[in-house]
Amino acid sequence: MSPEPALILDELPSLSKLYVNAAATAARRRLLGTQGLNSLPPGRHEVHGVRADVGNLTAYQHLIGESASDAMPAGFIHALAFPVAMSVLNRDDFPLPLLGMIHLGNRVEQMRAIQFSELLDIRSWAEDMRGHRAGTQVDIVAEVRASDDGTLVWRGVSNYLAKGVYLPGINKPGTGSAAWEFTPPAPTAEWQLGVDTGRSYATVSGDYNPIHLSMLSAKALGLRRSIAHGMYLASRALADVGSVKSEAFRWDVSFEAPVFLPARVALEIATVQSAAGGWQRSDYVAWNPRSGRKHFSGSVTGL
Amino acid sequence: MPAEEQSASAPQQTSGGHQPMRRAVVVGGNRIPFARTGGAYTKSSNQDMLTAALDGLIARFGLQDERIGEVAAGAVLKHSRDFNLTREAVLGSALSAETPAYDLQQACATGLETVLGLANKIKLGQIDSAIAGGVDSASDAPIAVSEGLREILLDLNRSKTLPERLKVLARLRPKDLAPDAPNTGEPRTGLSMGEHQALTTAQWEIAREAQDELAYNSHHNLAAAYERGFFDDLITPYRGLNRDSNLRPDTSMEKLASLKPVFGKGLGTEATMTAGNSTPLTDGASTVLLGTEEWADARRLPKLAVVVDGEAAAVDFVHGKDGLLMAPVFATPRLLERNGLSFEDIDFFEIHEAFAGTVLSTLAAWEDDEFCRTRLGLGGALGKIDRAKLNVNGSSLAAGHPFAATGGRIVASLAKLLHDRGPVDGRPARGLISICAAGGQGVVAILEAYTAPEGR
Repeated sequence: MSPEPALILDELPSLSKLYVNAAATAARRRLLGTQGLNSLPPGRHEVHGVRADVGNLTAYQHLIGESASDAMPAGFIHALAFPVAMSVLNRDDFPLPLLGMIHLGNRVEQMRAIQFSELLDIRSWAEDMRGHRAGTQVDIVAEVRASDDGTLVWRGVSNYLAKGVYLPGINKPGTGSAAWEFTPPAPTAEWQLGVDTGRSYATVSGDYNPIHLSMLSAKALGLRRSIAHGMYLASRALADVGSVKSEAFRWDVSFEAPVFLPARVALEIATVQSAAGGWQRSDYVAWNPRSGRKHFSGSVTGL
Repeated sequence: MPAEEQSASAPQQTSGGHQPMRRAVVVGGNRIPFARTGGAYTKSSNQDMLTAALDGLIARFGLQDERIGEVAAGAVLKHSRDFNLTREAVLGSALSAETPAYDLQQACATGLETVLGLANKIKLGQIDSAIAGGVDSASDAPIAVSEGLREILLDLNRSKTLPERLKVLARLRPKDLAPDAPNTGEPRTGLSMGEHQALTTAQWEIAREAQDELAYNSHHNLAAAYERGFFDDLITPYRGLNRDSNLRPDTSMEKLASLKPVFGKGLGTEATMTAGNSTPLTDGASTVLLGTEEWADARRLPKLAVVVDGEAAAVDFVHGKDGLLMAPVFATPRLLERNGLSFEDIDFFEIHEAFAGTVLSTLAAWEDDEFCRTRLGLGGALGKIDRAKLNVNGSSLAAGHPFAATGGRIVASLAKLLHDRGPVDGRPARGLISICAAGGQGVVAILEAYTAPEGR
């Protein structure tokens, strides 16, 4: 259930302004210290009557390797809802710093094919702030409903980590399970990601987080090089799973080692068939073909 | 009346004489609305549009995960990276990934030729089902580097040392940087298709008003077909378009008469071809589902029409013997003769409107006693077509003409039309399709309303 009360925004917030504001907030907190916030802001943010830009949709579909159909890829809906989610993270009373947050994973449920011409209502809120062995993690929920009848058509939960941030009253979990040993399987595909991969995805998704744009902007935030957007990688994997998936599906991804650009990424997509022989699920895992380090893994499951 | 006289498509003995040849049935079709170039599909690639048309067909006939015998389609303006265009569209569609596909290219006859080739495979027993199609984008057209730059780049790739590379690069001249865009000119004559047709239009003395009238009828017939819902099960909306964007339901003879001529202005005769009676550059895609009777029955799918026969022809347009777009004039009598038919046996004529002048020159040639005797080897004029049977639901002047997609548009529409018409004088309704193509080529075909064979 989404929390009350709702803050209705007139339009989709500008992501570039949100990032500027986030930088200002970060600077202010560094100077003045945090105000000791240790709880999530109540309520949710909403934008009503959102319609996708078809030119942007086509560019997105081409970039991630989907055919330019009228149905929007699930990753594009994530990008459509992202400004609303960001406006929640960007609130003055949000306890964790937005810049430098690490995207740990994403869970999406898409209930049906969603056409670009549909009017959509988007709402987002934060929930379940909890400890992590490396800091504090939080879930940002986004829900997309058809404006005409209010049915839920898409729901995404993004799991973020504020690394090195420990808030009073938020317990660190136990040392936690160590990462499983990963032995790369035989790849079914290999991606060549150019140094401009982050900039290209920023253009179609609107996510201009500096860690994705250039080596310099990434260095300013403590990374040695720019990294690919997690949602770009996951959306490409979803595109590679292809049209075999049903119209209603669940799509999960867990991010591990970031993909520093430029990069080669090896990928395995395995299909799990139902007893009747139809498609049931596709599992994917991606790794660095040189080091064998796992970048991300996930699955697409029919609903 | 013996069965073979009733229906040109009744099962025939094969040359081996072992078993009756199977029939290739048109189950249905699907296309996306055609869009004028630079319009709603500007950013959509050929692969996008073909996949969209294919997915609409799959949804309409419940073909998800189905392994189709073979899919054939093509594009006239094709990027070199799209060498496997049709297979890639299949992989991006909801069909089984185990569906084979091939690309075909015969200029504007591409779409019709995919139907004929696949129908033949079905008749021969090689496949039980097939999807024919075509797509073209004049908006997302390929642009190549100039011939000079291409040679330099290839030589650069072959050179091994830095001095060698610098020597190759030193050959680069500013003019090499100008890109090489496709054009509609014939390589051997340098004349555009419109200028070629202007020669033919003048040769057959086709009046401006007759051309405008054909364009007027095309728009009004297409608009009326949309109004009565004829295309409801033939078209899937795409990128916000529900109808062909070139369609002008309110066009009038006065409006058409007000347009300035664009082709044939230097011929010494009155220039008659305008933007109104010539087809505009268009983007779009179409598909047609074919199968055996058994295949359709097993899936409870409709059987609209039978692909009876087809014929290709070509003319020597290079040295002016015949007009560039006049090959169907030669193909049609050969096709009719082989099937023992005359114009009297045809209920619908679908003559692709590359230009109004093309259709009218074609009709004039068939009505010309001397031409039919000397050039077609007939006893006299092939005949006059009842205009009430011509392009009754509009054609390319109104719908637009994404080159390779036109054949699929016509086959699917005609199959439905024939099915709706049912029997005529105790025989199945028949339709003739005529499509002219660049290079002086043309492909024609006969379709017949489906009727169950006796005893079924």
